[in-house]
Amino acid sequence: MRAALLAVLVLLTCAVPAGAQDAPNIWFAGTQLIFDQAEMRAGTVAVGTADTGLQRFLARLGATLAYEPGQRYVVITTADRRTITFTLGDAQFTVAGASFRAPFAPYSAGAQAFLPLFALARALYVVPIDAGGETVLQPQLGALDVHNVGQTVVVTLRGATPLHFRRLAGDDGQVELLFTGVASTLDQSRIVGSPGLSQVTLLAEGTPRNPSTSVAFYGPADGVHVLGPSSSPNELTLIFAPAGTPLAGTPIPDEGDAVASVGAPAVTPAFTPPPEPSVPPDTSSDEDGDQTAASPQPGEAATVASPSPVASEMGAAVPAVVTAIDETPAESSFSVRVAVNAPVAYEWHRLLDGRWYLDLQNATLGIAPLDETPASDVVSSLRVRQMALQPIPVVRVAFTLPSDLAVDLEPSDSSLTITVGASADTDVARTGLGQIGDAGTIALAPVSSPLPSATPAAVATPWKFAPRTANAGLIVIDPGHGGSDSGAMGNGLVEKDLTLDIAGRLRRVLEARGWTVKLTRYTDVDVYQPNDSAHDELQARCDIANNAGARLFISIHVNSFTSSDLNGTTTYYYKDDSLPLAQAVHRHLAAALETKDDGIQKANFYVIHHTTMPAILIETAFLSNPGDAALLRSPTFLQKIAVSVADGVSDYAGAPPPPQTSMDIP
Amino acid sequence: MRSARALVLFLVLAAAALLAYEFVRNRSGGIGSSIPVYYTELDGQTMGSYTVTLGPARDLQSVAFYAATQAVAGPPQDVEAIRFPPGTFVHSVAVAAPLVTVDLSGDVKNGAGGSFGESGEFKGLVWTMTALPQIQAVRVTVDGAPLATLPGGHLELDEPLDRSSW
Repeated sequence: MRAALLAVLVLLTCAVPAGAQDAPNIWFAGTQLIFDQAEMRAGTVAVGTADTGLQRFLARLGATLAYEPGQRYVVITTADRRTITFTLGDAQFTVAGASFRAPFAPYSAGAQAFLPLFALARALYVVPIDAGGETVLQPQLGALDVHNVGQTVVVTLRGATPLHFRRLAGDDGQVELLFTGVASTLDQSRIVGSPGLSQVTLLAEGTPRNPSTSVAFYGPADGVHVLGPSSSPNELTLIFAPAGTPLAGTPIPDEGDAVASVGAPAVTPAFTPPPEPSVPPDTSSDEDGDQTAASPQPGEAATVASPSPVASEMGAAVPAVVTAIDETPAESSFSVRVAVNAPVAYEWHRLLDGRWYLDLQNATLGIAPLDETPASDVVSSLRVRQMALQPIPVVRVAFTLPSDLAVDLEPSDSSLTITVGASADTDVARTGLGQIGDAGTIALAPVSSPLPSATPAAVATPWKFAPRTANAGLIVIDPGHGGSDSGAMGNGLVEKDLTLDIAGRLRRVLEARGWTVKLTRYTDVDVYQPNDSAHDELQARCDIANNAGARLFISIHVNSFTSSDLNGTTTYYYKDDSLPLAQAVHRHLAAALETKDDGIQKANFYVIHHTTMPAILIETAFLSNPGDAALLRSPTFLQKIAVSVADGVSDYAGAPPPPQTSMDIP
Repeated sequence: MRSARALVLFLVLAAAALLAYEFVRNRSGGIGSSIPVYYTELDGQTMGSYTVTLGPARDLQSVAFYAATQAVAGPPQDVEAIRFPPGTFVHSVAVAAPLVTVDLSGDVKNGAGGSFGESGEFKGLVWTMTALPQIQAVRVTVDGAPLATLPGGHLELDEPLDRSSW
């Protein structure tokens, strides 16, 4: 019996981690962290990924670690979804995309990777403090980001741990919050200079083990401020604005009330500033790493682009909030009511593939996004989502319609009702504008005039859902990019210029062979409008071919890559009915050009997906490659491309049919 | 004698608890012990792959995030592959099988502007994610917002990508 007892005792003794007695004396949140897989490296602590003390530390911060033996990367994800990535053998590591240098390169030993503990801690907004022979890992208020959106200022604070604060008594126009449990090495004063918020000051107090930080916000005495939504308990968002500005959010609590930041509404953000790379607190002058020069500084003020004319016309920079989406299915129709808390302008579009969408300009989504298949015969899918945050936030309501049903819009003071299928109108329109909340400016769809700055090519003619009668003699050539979009650039070449040159040559060759040819652009312009979205720009190019009932669509591009070694010519297709055209054209390109034959590839590129006829996209050569670039400078080479494509078209389509006289081709 | 038995019983139970803990901590299950990570080779067509071994966390959400991070980081530098623009990282991954949404950092927009890189980058990501059980399509967002296409304007990103996209 004694022998058995002794054996069990020996077994338990052996189970105690060998490194425990050598563990560094490190404290966090009032308890000592026992590191059982730690060792010294380059004068600092290296801790193994399997260390139970490290795992406990990460768990307290809401962070997770991913690593497996044999892999090169160790990825830590923080509570506020920042990613810290260490690479074995490389002292550089990244925090939310910003690069830092650790005192030693992480390395593997046995089945685990060893990381620089203090560099990792700083990336998690925790700073090691020497406190009389002990090291205290002190949570920090690690970032204070200021975003100006018009006259509104959005301040986002991020901490290592969930933020708890109470409001202190302050003067008129001053909001002072005391954060307990966190220190701060951020700048003590920041001039904001906005009408809603002039200055922010920070003061770190307390002891290494019991820190606190007060943050005072100074604004006009009659200014307004609210708590905005936060994406995690470690984050707190405050919004400041001049008097009279409507703000969405919850009031900042009165003096003395203790609050945890998780108490702020944490639903889908109703007002989310554009994400900025977040970086750890000061890493420039300590033993455990120094920040590289290119890294952004915490809390640098960022000025967001001014609101669009639509927002300005509304007289308020603060976005409206979509507060509800109510669906009403009926036997042969389907209605969606979009409720908003403020006036908002909208525009809508119908695409050829059955998609219909409406964009609420300068609006944010105050409810969860929707992506569902309604119980309806007239709507195949319904999606509601936040589409963009810059230059203004846009909420998109999108349907997929199984047929060309009419869509009726009925705006009111605080909502818009979209009804699909109720009207018998078969002359379905393509685009329109309107406004919720201001009856004087409501423009019920469909509109008869084009969008304000759209080009005639995009909207000049009434749009029908079904394409026009196919024109068997028409080929549309799309010179890639143009206007505000230069495309790729390199070796003194600009893609948009080359594509226009080649397209012009191809047009002349095809016309000489009897084809009618239309280009999506004839000069250096955006097809839709300057600085438009890629979606609008590309759809406008598709519309030209679709609306004209073209027989073929050929998009001309010039490739580019980060490595200048790559070269060659590629022909892309997407739809199966486009493959024979791609094969015919590429056969001639490969035979005639001096470039490397990179073959035919399938890819879901927008313009060869959303055109309704056989469509290809030709990447003629790599302007990033010196050899290909030299060829692209040669008019002879550009002419060879044009002739080769035309030869391929002839192989594929034969001779053009006799010209039609009824078509309206400029 | 009775107290000695109690002590032995206690120690045996403690040893059993320790062994059970170790078993649970190191157990396999869930997704499996490894996943393939794909990348597009420099011909723009051929898919290469390497295998990463998974840790104890085998739930689909954790594995999907790990897989996406690996796919965006790419294979070791000595492997010739089409890579995402430097600095691109994964903000988050949300699994709603059969769809997974991968939110990338805005660095992804800093590519060379050609369709070659754009196509190859996302092809590797989509192959990797759709190799996971239950996942058939990948929706890509950038900095938390949907994006119709990258600034170069080639690959369509406002609809989920799957292997038939190539």
